[in-house]
Amino acid sequence: MVDDRRVVAANRAARQAGVVVGMARREGEALCPGGVILDRDPARETLRFEPVVQIVEAIVPRVEVVAPGSLLVDITGALRYYGGEQVVVERIMERLADPGVRIGVAGGPFAARLAAGSAAPGTVHFVDDDHAFLASQDVSSIANEDLVAIFRWLGIGTLGALSSLPRHAIATRFGNDGLRAHRLASGEEGRVSARPIPPDVDVDEQYEEPLVLLEHVGFAARALAHRLIGALAAAGTAAHRIEVEATAATGERRSRVWRSKDPFTAEMLAERVWWQLRAWTESEGVPGGIIRLRLSPADVSGTGRQLGFFEDTVAEIEAERALARVQALVGHDQVLEAEPAGGREPGERVRWRRRGEPTDLPQSEGAPWPGATPAPTPALVPPHRPSVGVRWDDGMPVQVRLRSRWVPVLNWAGPWRRTGRWWEGQPDVDRYQIVTSAGAFLCEVDGDTVRLVGVYD
Amino acid sequence: MNASASPIDARRILAEQIATHTITLTDRAELLQLEPGRVVGLSGPDGSGLTRLGLSLLREPARSAPVVAVDTRGWLSPAAAWEMGIPPGRLAVIRCDDRRIWPQALAALIGGVRSIYAELPAGVTDQALRRLAALARRERTGLVLRGVDRPVPSGVAHLAISAEGIEWRGVDQGHGRLTTRQMSLLASGKAMRGIERRIEVEDDGTNLVRVVGGLATASPGRAAG
Repeated sequence: MVDDRRVVAANRAARQAGVVVGMARREGEALCPGGVILDRDPARETLRFEPVVQIVEAIVPRVEVVAPGSLLVDITGALRYYGGEQVVVERIMERLADPGVRIGVAGGPFAARLAAGSAAPGTVHFVDDDHAFLASQDVSSIANEDLVAIFRWLGIGTLGALSSLPRHAIATRFGNDGLRAHRLASGEEGRVSARPIPPDVDVDEQYEEPLVLLEHVGFAARALAHRLIGALAAAGTAAHRIEVEATAATGERRSRVWRSKDPFTAEMLAERVWWQLRAWTESEGVPGGIIRLRLSPADVSGTGRQLGFFEDTVAEIEAERALARVQALVGHDQVLEAEPAGGREPGERVRWRRRGEPTDLPQSEGAPWPGATPAPTPALVPPHRPSVGVRWDDGMPVQVRLRSRWVPVLNWAGPWRRTGRWWEGQPDVDRYQIVTSAGAFLCEVDGDTVRLVGVYD
Repeated sequence: MNASASPIDARRILAEQIATHTITLTDRAELLQLEPGRVVGLSGPDGSGLTRLGLSLLREPARSAPVVAVDTRGWLSPAAAWEMGIPPGRLAVIRCDDRRIWPQALAALIGGVRSIYAELPAGVTDQALRRLAALARRERTGLVLRGVDRPVPSGVAHLAISAEGIEWRGVDQGHGRLTTRQMSLLASGKAMRGIERRIEVEDDGTNLVRVVGGLATASPGRAAG
């Protein structure tokens, strides 16, 4: 299984052939030429992971999903009830009855995660002293490739070596990333500042028609996630833990807390809410569909984004809400955003995407693009270039047909030859700027056919 | 204005180089601006230059908040908006040509977006447009209505602009390329204090537009104020 061209999981046969997690996709393909390669599907993983979460939740409430397959459980409150961490963990292992499960128990979330990672399948790794345990861990545990490379170059190979350095020196040299790494190495992860949760920051939405279709659920998740992050940003805060609550048509309520080591962004949150809702929907966890959705921050910190000096955050939040309503009216595909992309033609220089969807990597806008149509850009660019009638006299355009009437050409410029991509069968065309009494047009001529590329409106 | 100045001098003196968003009429010179709660109506066929002018009115509001363009034909190019100075991340484009949904969608936008450019689809009633204009005034939303196949009905817009003519420069029988255009516009409405006036706008393809005041301010049969 691959994600972003890296192997994220491999079955036994693949592992025996030499495939390891983290390996490049091509390398894995070379080792296993006949292997089946699947793209990672976090929503499906969440669905498969949902029963595990429910089992653990039945023993210890308030579990937090870090990612599909990874769960963080605060067992502080359960210790007194069950009589010790050994008993709690044994009960979880017993109920899960999975030989592959790995559990780490430590004083903080970062140490617990590392302990779980170092435990053998089907075992528990108890950490008695977080500082001593972390000090022995490799510096790569902080999961920041650039920073790890510099630390190694400086001779810092373990988290212990990192945490022994003065924090102010790390902060001065490496900024926020370095500071965060130092806190991790010192076992301080998860201690968000005690900033009060702003009042009325929860967002919820009720639906007259229960959401049953996954498409509608996804749309609702995205809209609500953007609203919550917008509200938090307006208060100058950001959340590391968010509770997702869904009410089914039958009145049944489901809730789940998702955690992120970095403050949630709108896209990150929308993704996780979508995974969770899809898992509930597909596993019949919300019978009859969802009639109410609620997102609330479980904690907030002051390490939110820096507001721009000229930004009107309230206006942005209001606009988000309005656009979400319009998406419901006109359809998700009709509310669009665009970003500049490389290309020679006006239409090529715009990369469209549905609002709220992640940005694709555009073609380089800054590349030279020789032969590109110069500014000013036509304000109207038909997506399918319609053919237009043009009368020529000795190679010069003299009349253009606009709807049903012919209008005289007042002036014109061109031709500019655009060499087509011959390897894709694209022909060479000549471009003309034609000025009439009804406006100016950008046209391309391919043999006898003249097509409208843009209107200078 | 110096009465003895030649037409060229007068043009140099009175031409106010301003960002397009500030084309508002003041006592000093004709300037236009999309103010909160104001409706600007743009009427004229494709090619008359009004799409670019309408988008340019969103430039200043887009500096601080998202703006929206409602596209009824699916032809609107955001590249032109970027060229006028609207940041790509601040512009959302909504494609809607359904005359039943369009008023609802625009009403929803007016409730949350501060500045909107909207093309009129065929079949939307004058009554619906008047309601939307009233809503925009109440919500203090700047609204630019662009009539393509029909003019914006009278009484809807605070400032009504119709295209009179357009002149392109830079091309000459096969040579050169389009560089600058000068639009002749007829402005009327409350913003003009009831006086119909002709203004000329020069656009050189950047986000600056030269509004030439005092050149063609005489309106037929009336004195220019």
